[in-house]
Amino acid sequence: MRRPLIEATPSPDKQPLDYETLRDVIDLSLWAGQLLLHSGAESQQVEETVHRLGTGLGCNWLDILVSPNALVITAISDGEFRTKVRRVVNMGVNLQVIVEVNALVQRVLVGELDRHELRIELVRISHFQSGYSRWTVALMVGAACAAFSSLFGGDAIIWGITFLAATGAMLVRQELQKHYFNPFIIVVVTAFAASLLAGIAPLFHLGNQPQLTLTSAVLLLVPGVPLINSVQDLMKGYPMTGIARGVTGAVIAACIALGLLLAMSLLRMNGL
Amino acid sequence: MTGFDLVKLVVSDALWSGVAALGFAVLFNVPKRLLLGCFLSGAVGHTLRTLCVNSGASVEVGTLIGAGGVGFFGVYLSNRFDVPAFIFTVTGAIPMVPGVFAYQTVIGLLQATSATGSQTVDFLSTAGLNGVRTALILCSLAFGIAAPTLLLRRSNPVA
Repeated sequence: MRRPLIEATPSPDKQPLDYETLRDVIDLSLWAGQLLLHSGAESQQVEETVHRLGTGLGCNWLDILVSPNALVITAISDGEFRTKVRRVVNMGVNLQVIVEVNALVQRVLVGELDRHELRIELVRISHFQSGYSRWTVALMVGAACAAFSSLFGGDAIIWGITFLAATGAMLVRQELQKHYFNPFIIVVVTAFAASLLAGIAPLFHLGNQPQLTLTSAVLLLVPGVPLINSVQDLMKGYPMTGIARGVTGAVIAACIALGLLLAMSLLRMNGL
Repeated sequence: MTGFDLVKLVVSDALWSGVAALGFAVLFNVPKRLLLGCFLSGAVGHTLRTLCVNSGASVEVGTLIGAGGVGFFGVYLSNRFDVPAFIFTVTGAIPMVPGVFAYQTVIGLLQATSATGSQTVDFLSTAGLNGVRTALILCSLAFGIAAPTLLLRRSNPVA
């Protein structure tokens, strides 16, 4: 994104916004940015989308600071400016929200939505439920982990046990999430449950490589999105969010290892 | 390796990595109309990597090439479905994320604390190596999927 050399050069085609409107524009921009950060968007994407939204709603320029747990925006219109902070609490992954917010921004840019309609749409997105039932998610995640075991060279028995263990673990994770446990505790307990269930294979010497069930069943917890976003943010000039996401990813990996080791010591296994 | 073996390897690799990407796409709540794109994106990336590793490249280099494939394929799918490329690149990268290396690093460190004698050094060196490999694979993965943005969309950074 190119920045102007002189701050807030008023563009001739834009009317100066009044007090009410500027307040609304910065509020809506922050809301959209918060939704994106809550859904696992990378920092550059957040900055660009929010900038497009704000200028599309009539501002001359927006300065956006993306930090790991807050979003700060200064909106400028004809020399008048306003700054506001909004807290960002969790960094989950919900790609449907990213798709919807992007579609909204496109509609604002072509002039299909004004700020009042945008507010209604943002309320709708904020209250969205998952498009998939609990069981669909659990079974699909189970299949994904079982697919990993096949990629590592496991046979059909390994596939089946990994599938059952990962599906069971996902159900445990959903149950814990429903009661708002601390996210790191959820990871430890889920990893423990996954490896305990997967422990059937090494305990009874089933399949061609019994240990693979443990290796694959905990993969449902791997913090893929934070880790990838971490490197992307670092490369694209957002070191603060990059470091924060990297550390979060590393702590989650440590929690997986902890749950796995607890189960392994119960099963009297040493080493994978 | 005969031609038949190669075909078998490619088919099973594409199928399983596609299923892995699909499962995570459902976990990440990707809309139903985009699921096929996620499956293909996961299959393309991991199969490219497997082919590279099979012809003698290291996992790190293979990941870079596979992720580059995911990145450019993601741009194509993004134009086709009119959604951000991020949806396809992130789900497509999931099968290549070094998850096992990541948690084995920590397992090695924890096991070293309870080991005795020269075993401690073994555990520590394995853990260190796993850590470095995790970081390298992650960097090639992120650089690969960001390649289209980094190479094609450049602008002058005026402050």
